[in-house]
Amino acid sequence: MKILVTVKRVPDPNATIRVKPDGTGIVTDNLKYVVNPFDEIAIEEALRIKEKGGGAEVVLVSIGAKVAQEQLRTGLAMGADRAILVVAEQDLDPLGVARILQKIVEQEKPDLVLMGKQAIDDDANQTGQMLAALLQWPQATFASKKESLESEAEKNGLPGIQMANGKAQVVREVDGGLETIEVPLPAVVTVDLRLNIPRYASLPGIMKARKKELKEIPVAELGIDVTPKLRVLRLEPPPKRKAGRKVSSVQELVHLLHTEAKVI
Amino acid sequence: MNTQRDGNVWWKEFPLHAPTEEHRLLAHTVESFVRDEVEPQAQSYNRDERFNRELFRRAGELGLLGLTVPSEDGGAGLDATAAVIVHEALSWSDPGFCLAYLAHAVLFVHNFATNANEQQKRRVLPQVLSGQWIGGMCMTEPEAGTDVLGMRTTAELQGDHYVLNGRKMFITNGAIDDNTLGDVFLVYAKTGGKISTFLVEKGMPGFTLGQRLHDKLGMRSSMTAELVFDHCLVPAGNLIGEEGASLQHMMRNLEIERVALAAMSLGIAMRCLETMVQYANTRHAFGVPLREHGQIQRYIGDSYAEFRAARSYVYDVARRLDLRSLGNRADADGAKLFAARVGKNIADRAIQVLGGYGYMGEYVVERLWRDAKLIEIGGGTLEAHQKNITKDLCRAPEWIRR
Ligand SMILES: Cc1cc2nc3c(=O)[nH]c(=O)nc-3n(C[C@H](O)[C@H](O)[C@H](O)COP(=O)(O)OP(=O)(O)OC[C@H]3O[C@@H](n4cnc5c(N)ncnc54)[C@H](O)[C@@H]3O)c2cc1C
Ligand SMILES: Cc1cc2nc3c(=O)[nH]c(=O)nc-3n(C[C@H](O)[C@H](O)[C@H](O)COP(=O)(O)OP(=O)(O)OC[C@H]3O[C@@H](n4cnc5c(N)ncnc54)[C@H](O)[C@@H]3O)c2cc1C
Repeated sequence: MKILVTVKRVPDPNATIRVKPDGTGIVTDNLKYVVNPFDEIAIEEALRIKEKGGGAEVVLVSIGAKVAQEQLRTGLAMGADRAILVVAEQDLDPLGVARILQKIVEQEKPDLVLMGKQAIDDDANQTGQMLAALLQWPQATFASKKESLESEAEKNGLPGIQMANGKAQVVREVDGGLETIEVPLPAVVTVDLRLNIPRYASLPGIMKARKKELKEIPVAELGIDVTPKLRVLRLEPPPKRKAGRKVSSVQELVHLLHTEAKVI
Repeated sequence: MNTQRDGNVWWKEFPLHAPTEEHRLLAHTVESFVRDEVEPQAQSYNRDERFNRELFRRAGELGLLGLTVPSEDGGAGLDATAAVIVHEALSWSDPGFCLAYLAHAVLFVHNFATNANEQQKRRVLPQVLSGQWIGGMCMTEPEAGTDVLGMRTTAELQGDHYVLNGRKMFITNGAIDDNTLGDVFLVYAKTGGKISTFLVEKGMPGFTLGQRLHDKLGMRSSMTAELVFDHCLVPAGNLIGEEGASLQHMMRNLEIERVALAAMSLGIAMRCLETMVQYANTRHAFGVPLREHGQIQRYIGDSYAEFRAARSYVYDVARRLDLRSLGNRADADGAKLFAARVGKNIADRAIQVLGGYGYMGEYVVERLWRDAKLIEIGGGTLEAHQKNITKDLCRAPEWIRR
């Protein structure tokens, strides 16, 4: 069993994001970067399948500037076996990323590609679906699990995705409930927030990470066109939240919700 | 000289606070651990003066208890900078827990791994690296603190045992609750007038908990105790290093201890500064945010400059500190001397900026203000540092221009 997990370098979700005055992007000075939180969940799930679900080689792949090495090292320190960085300094859109991943999948021939359902920077939620289409593989999106994140199963680090008989059983979050589906392998699975709580890299994990393989492939070597089909016209910060207001009675609250907020 | 690398002036990019990939990953792990597991328990364990044994074991699981122990001995083999990263991050949230961590990881584990023999290490290290055993170090006595060499505890070889007599005071991790001793201790005692180190374990005849000390000003989630050695029988095999040759162990370990304590003040200062800035941004008085008032600007401005200076100094000393050698006392002491006061001053200003709210537990800065004071006393008082620095500089004034 081989599992390929995608890892994107994104701004720290706890950081304050400021949009550049000209709207062409965000201010990146002094910005801290982390592994996309959804990808962290995907790495954790792959490691659980490896540890508790019958073994696997876990290979990470990231696409982007050379500095994305940092995020791959984080994943290696969590316990992944090796990593690939497709070095691409230019801007990419989800289709470009999916095309690159298709090439890597063809080279690596994994049984399962695990991805975050989206990246928290531009929240596209497209790459997994596009990759499955390009590969003509089955896909299961928004993998979740029945047990809660406070359950024993979670404390014991059991995987939520069940792999058996050449199939993956995936519990999906859908409106109003959970749906269980089965996809034949190889397949693309994207993960949602409630699948697991990712581990921190332990000290022994951190010390081992340095010795693990991190291969760099220049994007030009893949011989594909990754010119973005998508252009960002402008970024705008969300409107500032207005200060709260104290009301003196329930009547006044109801009145304001009706006349000012117009929600009832 | 070639200062250009990859088109950048590389030394200008040198990340002093996380110089290598390992340091960066370590910082990430500790910050996550602090956010998810340390912070939620800090207020209640400090209020109740209890030691969180479970959390301590978690630190063991993450490998934090063997941070500076060589990898051959089962540790992470990291350096003083790593120790600073961990102490700074833990003290941002719970300096009391961090003090218990320091007493274990730096005063016991690091010291022991540096000076014990192979057989001793094989028996004890796995237990203390996992957090199964809780360790501490006994230097201070009821009547000898700063004047370490005035210690009165003695050890005398009788057959295949040393007999220890004396009392040790203010021992962090000496107890883990009112009635339970910690598990293992490095105890300094005099043999024929010279200092030796002994590994004293819970259960050895004549070794008892004198008292667990209550009502400390701060650092209340760490336990402090007086320990009694009354004709305590310690197997001769528990002597650490050569008899009478411990002065060097002691002085060397004090250097990393002081740098780690200085890092604790950095964590306190960072949290207090963040709290102050956030409050000044949102609280209004006289129709404007507090940040508009000149006196508040002075608190924030001074605090920021002092914090940055202390942080640069502490990390710079850590970067230079070779854990195997001796001879950095002026700067280990200097870093703590400076950072301790910065931590205390910034905590004080944070309370001031928060006004009545700052005085209340919910806003955390009053607890950090109480914790901050300890760094001016424990591991060497301010006056001890001033004395040491003066002595070292007068002996080698060229150190000033280094
Ligand atoms: C919470 C806590 C935890 C501690 N944990 C440990 C531990 O785990 N292990 C351990 O061994 N110890 C521990 N200590 C002890 C600590 O290291 C001592 O308290 C410290 O070294 C000071 O010693 P002392 O309290 O005896 O004060 P003293 O040495 O009696 O000092 C009293 C005052 O006299 C001043 N003074 C003394 N000598 C001089 C001098 N030559 N010149 C100028 N001024 C001088 C001091 O600076 C101080 O202001 C702990 C203390 C506390 C409060
Ligand atoms: C234990 C305790 C008991 C108390 N008991 C009582 C009581 O019995 N009755 C009662 O009425 N109150 C009581 N108080 C409230 C106390 O008087 C207030 O906390 C105090 O007046 C400060 O107000 P504040 O906390 O709202 O802080 P703020 O007024 O919000 O001040 C916050 C910070 O901003 C500074 N600041 C504000 N305005 C300016 C300015 N124009 N220029 C420069 N700096 C400025 C302040 O000096 C302070 O540093 C008590 C408070 C405590 C902690």
